[in-house]
Amino acid sequence: MARSIIVVGAGPAGLAAAMQAEGQGARVTLVDEGQRPGGQIYRQGPPALGREDIAGAAELRRKHKLLEAFERARVRIDYRPNTSAFALFGPRDIHVASGDQTQVLSADGVILASGVREVAVPFPGWTTPGVMYAGGAQSLIKSQRTLPGRNVVVAGCGPLPIVVAAQILRAGGKIAAFAPLHSLTAGVGNLTGLWHGRGVVLEGLRYLATVMKSGVARLTGFVPIRARGIDRLESVVLARLDAAGAVEKGSEREIACDALVINYGFAANSELAALAGARMRHEELIGGWLPEVDDFGRTSVEGVFVAGDMAGLRGALVAETEGCLVGAAAAASPEIFAKRSFEQSWHKELTHRRRLCEFQKVVRAMLDRPRALWAIADDDTMICRCENVNLGHLRFAFSAGHLAPNTIKRSTRAAMGWCGGRTCLPMIAALAELHAKASPFAMMTPRPLARPVPLSALANQTKG
Amino acid sequence: MTNRTADILIVGAGAFGLSCAWWMAKRRDGSRILVVDEGEFAGGASGRNGAGFRMQWGLELNIRLCQESIKFFESAARELDYPPGIALKQDGYLVLAHSEKALKTLEAAVRTQHRFGVPSEVLDAKECIKLVPPLGRERLRGGSFCALDGSASPFLWLDALLRACRRQGVDVVYGIRARSIEPVETRYRVQLDDGPVDVAKILICTDWAAPELLAPLGIDVRTEPLPKEILVTSPAPPAVKPILVSLEHKIAVNQVDRGSVIFTVSRARSGTTTRSTGDFLSFAAPKIVDLVPGLAHVPVLRAWGGVSSVTPDMQPIIGETEREGLFVAVSSYRGFMTSPAVGRIMAAMVLDGDTNDPIASALHPRRFAAGEMIIEPLLNQE
Repeated sequence: MARSIIVVGAGPAGLAAAMQAEGQGARVTLVDEGQRPGGQIYRQGPPALGREDIAGAAELRRKHKLLEAFERARVRIDYRPNTSAFALFGPRDIHVASGDQTQVLSADGVILASGVREVAVPFPGWTTPGVMYAGGAQSLIKSQRTLPGRNVVVAGCGPLPIVVAAQILRAGGKIAAFAPLHSLTAGVGNLTGLWHGRGVVLEGLRYLATVMKSGVARLTGFVPIRARGIDRLESVVLARLDAAGAVEKGSEREIACDALVINYGFAANSELAALAGARMRHEELIGGWLPEVDDFGRTSVEGVFVAGDMAGLRGALVAETEGCLVGAAAAASPEIFAKRSFEQSWHKELTHRRRLCEFQKVVRAMLDRPRALWAIADDDTMICRCENVNLGHLRFAFSAGHLAPNTIKRSTRAAMGWCGGRTCLPMIAALAELHAKASPFAMMTPRPLARPVPLSALANQTKG
Repeated sequence: MTNRTADILIVGAGAFGLSCAWWMAKRRDGSRILVVDEGEFAGGASGRNGAGFRMQWGLELNIRLCQESIKFFESAARELDYPPGIALKQDGYLVLAHSEKALKTLEAAVRTQHRFGVPSEVLDAKECIKLVPPLGRERLRGGSFCALDGSASPFLWLDALLRACRRQGVDVVYGIRARSIEPVETRYRVQLDDGPVDVAKILICTDWAAPELLAPLGIDVRTEPLPKEILVTSPAPPAVKPILVSLEHKIAVNQVDRGSVIFTVSRARSGTTTRSTGDFLSFAAPKIVDLVPGLAHVPVLRAWGGVSSVTPDMQPIIGETEREGLFVAVSSYRGFMTSPAVGRIMAAMVLDGDTNDPIASALHPRRFAAGEMIIEPLLNQE
């Protein structure tokens, strides 16, 4: 009998995994929250808006190749857009919601490919309307053909600020200032890594050239320390920090703008893996709390697999290759998987992935988040927006010895709101370490639901 | 190995353990008090409940326990010097009846409550719905209501107690388990995870885990784990002013100040896991929608599990065991709401040997061996 596989997430890892598993004869269900396949990196706007043209040519080629392949495979895959997986207790107990209906699905294997979200670093005013993260700005541009603002400050670390700044410029926007935290040559000492990622490096250089040629003011080493404006953003204060996080005297620059776009790196959407009981590890710069996986994406829970960035930031190229590997492993029967010939048959892809991961080390060097960043927030700075918890409230909790995410949550309500801590938990871990020397590795007890679901939908459960 | 010294050891830093410690420390009689808890802050049943309190019971002792406790909750911010307060909400508590028999029980209980000055009243179905518009009408017969009942935040209550205890010099330690108790002459030697401690008196406040420590000494404390699961919604406009409990649905509903609605759902289960289970949402959601159809559209944010305790007659066990100096306080799933009064009673008992309190003498640990059972009409309905 054919094996049944459920894939969560339709980005490059999920799409590749679904197609690979289907190609091996598995019955595949692909659930995704988006309206159209592609995930964040290959996000598609409504069909009426046509194909976008702000991404680099090479990225567009990869995107369309993958999406077209999926269009061909789609008739053989039970693809469910607008569907959230909100709880997972193992491959036989997968809860999904769509509209006003829920379903409990059961399969031989589940592949989690739900990617990453961005890490927020709090500073006074960071919740002012007009301050947004790079992914949000890209979603506006890619799926709505809307600029995040007329006059935008772009800041942060890693390659994404360069990409977003270039995309804003290509879409006709104006950049008020571009503030990369690290020198743009961070990580270029790793020549092997650069060589393995040469395709992407060239794309990156083209984005960089777009930014440079525009004559935009570049403020290397500056970070946003305050966003001003009440109902909407009016200006941003950028400054240099010393090692302790104090503002370097005289370095402040106030820049008028109507949008601030930031990226400070990523946190893995690993909630479902944790809820299923997968063994987790913590690596701050590539996603925080991550499921432990082997080369084929197997977690410590039988039948639960992970592919792509959710296992630790690795980028779209690795994600797609890895999707194939994980899809193949999940679709193989345990007997076939156990044979040495299985691994040998995937030797080429395994090597390819290893090389691409070498390049990821270059990216990682650009993503370094200095501890000093976390010292910008003051006691009035909001940390948990859902429950109105500011740093002062957190420090009151620290003073009674509540230092682990569980006890901070109980004593302040942080992470109990709508987002379930997806935004505030990485901040809380870093702030507890900075202010109370807590270990940042302790994890909050995972709880359902990974997404809010109406009572009526929970009560309206159909058989899967 | 840590060298700990104390005169009194309290095992368990839940609502009972911390409240008892605070009442003892308040006496300032020089006793050194150590509280150990194997878990983390608010990690047990005290931090995992529906947060409600009520004086609507059918037995004098339960009414009195809760009357005293609610009075204390009202002044807790001041008494415990905890400026944030404990999120006290006194918008009443509505106990619902979905059968004539249940309504008759409530009517009898209200008569008893009036004898002790509880301002409760019986409402018909129409009045219930007027008070709580989202309620389902089907089969609803009526309910009893008391405006002084309500809820508070168990987290803030525990945090307030913890800080007040520490200010009074109580040593409260988390992540340390008491492994065994050994009588040594007139004292006790307790093996903790990080070394032994010799104490004169011990108070066990670990609810369902109490037998683990006491059985090896031949002390029979009959309490069993009672797992429950709870879910909470996103903030919704105010719709459920009083707390609700439906005896038929076995569901308690509490819409707290910020708008979130907490549903505590009971079902027959055993074990001691606090993990969330896959079938809980499927089990609970249809029952909730049946009880309060007007809230069906509200999104659920989170579900969690907790393990409370239950004794053979569903009443607390508090008192000195057959071993002098060894005390026990088991809540039987109402630890949060009765903790202020139990703390006062136990402090008097442990420090002064005062066992004359009428409540304490009724709830003593040896009642089951003597064949005594205390029947609370409102619980045996559930």
